[in-house]
Parts: sequence; C-alpha cells; structure tokens
Amino acid sequence: MLGALLYLRLTSARNWAKSRLRRLRQPKYLVGAIVGCAYFYFFFFRHLGRQPTRRLPDGAVLDATHAALPTEWLPVTTALGAVGFLILLALIWLVPSQRAALGFTEAEIAFLFPAPITRRALIHFRLLSSQLRSLVGAAVMMLFSNRWAVLGGNAVTHAIGWWFIFSSLNLHFSGASFTLTRLADLGWSVWRRRLLVFAAFATVVAVSIHRLPPEAAASESHAPGDLRAITAWVVTLAETAPLAWLLVPVHAVLGPFLAIDTRHFLLALGPALGVVILHYLWVVRSAVAFEDSAIAQAQQRSARLAAWREGRSRRTATTRSRRDPFALAATGRPELAFLWKNLLSTWPYFRLRVFLVAAAILTAGCVWLHRQPTAAPFLAGVGVLAVSLGAYLLILGPQFARQDIRSDLGHADVLRVYPLRGWQIILGELLTPVCILTAVVWLTLLVGALCFWPSTTSAPWLSLPVRVTASLGLALITPALVALQLLVPNAAALLFPAWFQATRSRGGGPEVVGQRMIFVFAQIVAMALALLPAAALAAVIIAVGQWLWGTAVAVGFASVGTLVLLVGEVGGGVWFLGTRFERLDLSAEPPPSA
Amino acid sequence: MIEVQGLTKRYGDFPAVRELSFAVRPGEVLGLVGPNGAGKTSTLRCLAGIIPASDGTIRIAGHELAIDPVSAKRALAFFPDEPRLFEYLTVRQHLNFVARIYGVRDHETIARPLLEEFEILDKADQLPGELSRGMKQKLAIACGLLHQPQVLFFDEPLTGLDPLGIRRMKNSIIRRARAGATIVLSSHLLHLLEEVCTHVLILKKGEKIADGTLAEVAQRFSNGESGVNLEEIFLRATGGSED
Ligand SMILES: Nc1ncnc2c1ncn2[C@@H]1O[C@H](COP(=O)(O)OP(=O)(O)OP(=O)(O)O)[C@@H](O)[C@H]1O
Ligand SMILES: [Mg+2]
Repeated sequence: MLGALLYLRLTSARNWAKSRLRRLRQPKYLVGAIVGCAYFYFFFFRHLGRQPTRRLPDGAVLDATHAALPTEWLPVTTALGAVGFLILLALIWLVPSQRAALGFTEAEIAFLFPAPITRRALIHFRLLSSQLRSLVGAAVMMLFSNRWAVLGGNAVTHAIGWWFIFSSLNLHFSGASFTLTRLADLGWSVWRRRLLVFAAFATVVAVSIHRLPPEAAASESHAPGDLRAITAWVVTLAETAPLAWLLVPVHAVLGPFLAIDTRHFLLALGPALGVVILHYLWVVRSAVAFEDSAIAQAQQRSARLAAWREGRSRRTATTRSRRDPFALAATGRPELAFLWKNLLSTWPYFRLRVFLVAAAILTAGCVWLHRQPTAAPFLAGVGVLAVSLGAYLLILGPQFARQDIRSDLGHADVLRVYPLRGWQIILGELLTPVCILTAVVWLTLLVGALCFWPSTTSAPWLSLPVRVTASLGLALITPALVALQLLVPNAAALLFPAWFQATRSRGGGPEVVGQRMIFVFAQIVAMALALLPAAALAAVIIAVGQWLWGTAVAVGFASVGTLVLLVGEVGGGVWFLGTRFERLDLSAEPPPSA
Repeated sequence: MIEVQGLTKRYGDFPAVRELSFAVRPGEVLGLVGPNGAGKTSTLRCLAGIIPASDGTIRIAGHELAIDPVSAKRALAFFPDEPRLFEYLTVRQHLNFVARIYGVRDHETIARPLLEEFEILDKADQLPGELSRGMKQKLAIACGLLHQPQVLFFDEPLTGLDPLGIRRMKNSIIRRARAGATIVLSSHLLHLLEEVCTHVLILKKGEKIADGTLAEVAQRFSNGESGVNLEEIFLRATGGSED
C-alpha cells in the first residue's frame, strides 16, 4: 500500500517538474529561468567549493574583533539556536486551535480516505511528503548557511544538519497536533491548554532565571544597547537547570548542524538520530491512539470528512462573513463595486471609521508629546521615523496590499463576462490597495507633520506655511504615487499570469526567483522613469515660483503640477493594463489552481 | 439573437472548435450536445467573451462581440459548469455587487423572488464555503439573471441540482425563452434536453455534425424509423453506437 502512495508522491513531483520545464518553452519563462540560475550561481554555488574567508592560509583576516573562530562562537550559536528552537516548539504547543490537520489536499482526501488504507499508512504517507519538503528545505538553507562565517563544518554537514532540524520540527509538529487533538477529545479547552503550556514554560524560565549565578545577573549592567551583555546572559541562562534539561534534546538536534569539524559531526549524529527516531515513534504511536480515540467518534469524523469532500474545507473556519464596508448603491460607477468587494476580502479594520479614530489618537498623542518637556529632543526623531515608515510603506506596501487584480486573477473568467472595459476593471481592482495604502501613508504623514518642527535657526526656510503646504502637497500626491507603485506588480500579474501564480505558492524553482528579481528590478526602473518627469517639474516650479510667489505657494503649485502629471501616468498605465486584460487569453495560460 | 460565423478556437495548435456557424433567434433554445471534449465549453466560453475566438465573428443581440464587447456583454449571461463565486462575499453581497456592476436599480425586488424560487433565501448571509454545491450553482444563476439578460448561455446547467431544482430550472429556461430570450445550453442529459430545446447542434471533435430543430435532426438520422429519441440520434451521429 505504501508503494502506491510512494508512486503518487513521486509521479506528482515528476509531473510538477515536467510542467515547469514545458513552460520554459515560452521565452518569458526561459529568460526568468536564466536570470534565476545566474542568481543562484553567483550568490551561492560559487562559494560552495571555497571555504569562507576566515580560513585564508596566512590568517591575515583573523582580526580579534570580528573574525573569531567557530569554536569561540560555539557556545553563543548553540545557546541562541537552542533558545530559538525552543521558542518554536513552544509555539507549536501554544498556537494551534484546530484539530490535528492531516495536511492532505482535497484530491488526496477524495482518493485516499475512502480507500482501504490504514490510518498508519496514511500517516506514513504524510511523513513521506514532509520528508520531501525537509530535504528541499535543507538544500536551500544549506546554500544560505554555507556563507555564515560563525559556523564550522562544510556544505555536507550543514545540509545534513538542516535536515535533522527540519525533520524533527516536522515530526514534532505532527506529534504535537495529534497529542493536542487527544487533549481536546478529553475535554480540554483551547485556552485551558494554552494557559497550562504557557505556565509550564514560564515556570521553567522563571526558575532558571532565579537560579542564575549572581555574576550573570551583574553582567546585565553593561552599557545599555550592548548586545554582548545580552548574549552572555542568554548563554548562561541556557546552561542553567531546569532550562538546560529542557534543552538537552534540542542540543542533540542542533548538534550536527553546529558541529565545527567532521569528528564532532560524526559524534553528534547519534544523539540527533536518536531524537528523530523517538519523534517518529511518538508520531506513529499517537497516530494509532488517535485512531482508537477516533473510533468512538467515527460519526463525527465521517461528518467532518463529508464536509471536507463537499468542499467545506478548513478554510471556512477562518473566513467569516463581514458587514458591508459601506452601503453600495445599485447605480453609480461600477468601479466602486470592486472597492466594496475587495474591502470585504481583507481585514475588517480597513474602514473609514478606524482611519478617523487612528488619526484622532495619533493627533492627540503628538499634541501630548509636544506638552512634555522631556520629549522635545525626540520629537524630530519621531517625525523622521514616521516619514521614513511612510516611504517604506510606499515602496513595499504594494507587495502586502494585494487586494487587486493579483488576487482576482483566479476569477478572471467571471470578470470577463461583466459589461465593463478592461480599464474599468483594472481601475476598480486598484482602488482597494490604493485606499488602504494611502490611508496608512497619510497617517505617517500626519505624525511626521505634527512632530517634525525643526528649530527656526537650523532651517529658517522651513517655516510653518511651507511645512503645511508641503505636508498637504505630499498628501495630495500620495494616492497617485501609491497607484503608480501598484501598477508595476499588477502589470506583472497580467503579463505573466502563470508565473505570477507560481510565485505565490510555496517553494519555487530558479525561474521563480529569477522572475522575482526581474520584477523588483523592473519596479525600481519603472518608478524611476515615472517619477523623473514629475520630480523635474516640481523642481522647476519651486525654483521659479519661490521668487514669484514665495516658497509656500510655490510648493503648493508644484504639488498640483506633479499630481496632474502623475495622474496622467496612472491613467495611461491603467488604460494599457486594461487592454492587456481584454486581450489576456486565459486558455493559453495554465489554470490558476495548477 | 446570436449569430456565429466561422467560429474557430485553437489552444496552441490544437483546434478545439472548427469553423462553427449557426444562428439562434429569440424564443429558441439551442441544445449543444457532443461527447466529452467535443468543444462545447470552449464554444460557450467564446460566445460569452471569456476567451477570445481564434477566428470568426460572433454577434450577440446585434452587437459584434469583438468590436463592441460591452454592449454585447450587457445583453448576455453565462453560467459556467462549475459555479464561480467570490469566497469572501455572502449570498446577499454577491447580488449587491453584481447589481452595481450591471447598474440594476431595483435589484432587491428582482433578487428576492429569485432567491425564494431557488430556496436559498435563508442562506442570504452565508459565504459560498457554507453552501452546498447545488446552492452555489443556484446563487450563480441568481447573480446571472439579476440584470434580466436577453441572451443566456448555460454550460451543463442541470448537473448538481436536485430533482425539484432540475424541474424548476427547466421551467425557468422554457419560460424565459417564451418571454423572448435567446438561449444556448450544453448538457449530456439528453432526455431533459428533449423537453427544453427547440433546436440541437451536435458537435464532435470541434466540428458541427448536424443542427436544426429536433425534428429535422431526428429526420436526418432516423433512417426512415419513426419516434427516434435524441439519445439514439446522438449515438448515431457521433458514431458511438452501442451495437
Ligand atoms: N485551456 C485549454 N488548453 C488546452 N486545451 C484545452 C483547454 N481547454 C480545453 N481544451 C481542449 O479542448 C477540447 C474541447 O474542450 P471542451 O472543454 O470545450 O470540451 P467539452 O465539450 O466542454 O467537454 P465536456 O463534455 O467534457 O465538458 C478538449 O480536447 C480539451 O482537451
Ligand atoms: Mg464542458
């Protein structure tokens, strides 16, 4: 029976690879693949054969400050790695609120669950799938960690080390979810379990802190912000019982990865293997027990399976119906319907009411800060921070706010039936991320404007009227800037739909990496090209205007001029994408689910 | 009113529909039949403007689809074989959204009887994920009928519905045709098609084998026998006879 499951796994993987390769026949995918492979080569593989610089024969770079040997780093890497690992484990026990999710796809459920396969074989099938993921994860992580100078060992020990880490995490996750399901069946509520798990972890940490030797506590009194003090404290803490006991299996798992040379690596293999095997036994055993406990609930489970088969998958548990973001009248511009619809697809916090409340709170906060004599030196800092956050959001926001054609590509066939021009659909789809990002950037601008009051001596030209018009002008062009930013990833989605879908799913080959790099590069180039004329126009208006009308008025005119130019550019972009959408041949691209 | 001239659809080099020409007048119901993979869905998707035709012209209610897609689409509704819904919109929100897209003024008075007829009125505030497949299909149909289209395309409209749903669907199609709508539907349920359709078009490997009224097509494949049913015609026409 496991043979059939293995066959399913392997053929799926092979067909996946085949369809990927077939796609390379289209030039746009081939170019991406070449760029991606070049990227991988230059950033990772080139270094594979070589040792990191610290092993230079003359030892010239062995500077005492920044090139310590892996042996010296070992306590720190071990302690930090172990603590990080332990936090992950704690989350595995704390977070889940659902019953053991077996992680099967709908097709696998449809084919495998009604088939005469034991639960144990299904578990093995699942472990096999996660092994595949662990192997890929280990290979990828090896490429990264191979360049970390604080590590000893070589590519092979890193890869195997990562495999131990991923496998034991995967196994632990499965085991924990089975155990949690059993606890739930015993009548434990989610919050009771969370409270107890948290209390247990907190107790261990608290007792360990309490038992710390006094010197360790004293070393806390280093200069504030000195990271070495904190790491030293963490290292000592990790070596103090009872936390140290809890970390013993974690150390065993991390051993092969952190081993500084082959001898240590071989020595570390035994304990690591032991932990993985114990985990495996735990998972298989608890899975069988899970089946036992499930027999009593056979009816419940079959109802759940039926729900699964009917497509009422787990997702419905997380998507809730939401109230209308605003009242949508039956007539009016159809583009607004997309704003209404896409606002429903995202968090319910993106509403006008929330925005107004946030603005009021931020204003009150800034006014309060102004009243504090001690806060004065920080004010400008807060302002600069807020404005840089706004700039950051402007550039990276489009990657997060994707309630536009990118998330509706799967519904393209529905959209195509609507009696709308392509540009109307693109415009409508853009509205939601534009509104969300504009609102957030406006908030940062508000804080910036309220806090950034440089003294009149250091920047006399930055008078109050100039500041006010500059803030208002920036606020005015923000929506156009955001829309311009959003056009680039949307263009990518429309020009390379299949590829675009691929980058959204987990994992990706070199052509996906290459494609992402091309997109980032294209975004930068496109933005530079689009902003250049606007910036030039603004500069000219301000330069000339400040003699004619004064700086404040000139800044105002410059904003309006920039706005007109940017709106023109956005309009052109929307129109172009509209024609692309109208011509998009959905049947020429693989279906979005593939 | 639908006029199709030389419709061809190629996927890459593969011709899924070849040189298809036909016309459907108001009040007529054309049944598109053919074996799996004959090109029924491809034809309907071209007619609805979802995928571009590789060749040929399509006129919907007097508007050429390639030239004036908006006017053509305003007149039509397409019902895919798998209901396609937005997973985050409730039943009521779907209707609300579609009403705005088509600018349907009194959509609530139109939607209510539709939901009542389809018996999903009590599900108005539920998400598609909480509906059964048949209910999803009913919702998709209600959305499509909201703007009172003159031209309707159904891809396998009867699969997934309960017996009462099938009867209502049939009656609804016949009623709309009598009221002057132009309807094309594909289905493998030939005995049901016989009750609904005025005309049939038999497709095989993308090519038209026969079309005309039920009687004309029956005449052509009857070999002089009388009372030959659509199933027998289908098997003879597509060369897949059991005996
Ligand atoms: N996106 C696509 N890309 C390539 N070929 C396709 C695509 N969609 C359909 N085909 C092919 O076109 C042909 C016609 O498919 P179509 O879906 O139109 O058939 P159908 O008559 O609707 O069949 P069924 O009765 O099974 O629904 C088939 O051979 C199919 O393999
Ligand atoms: Mg079909």
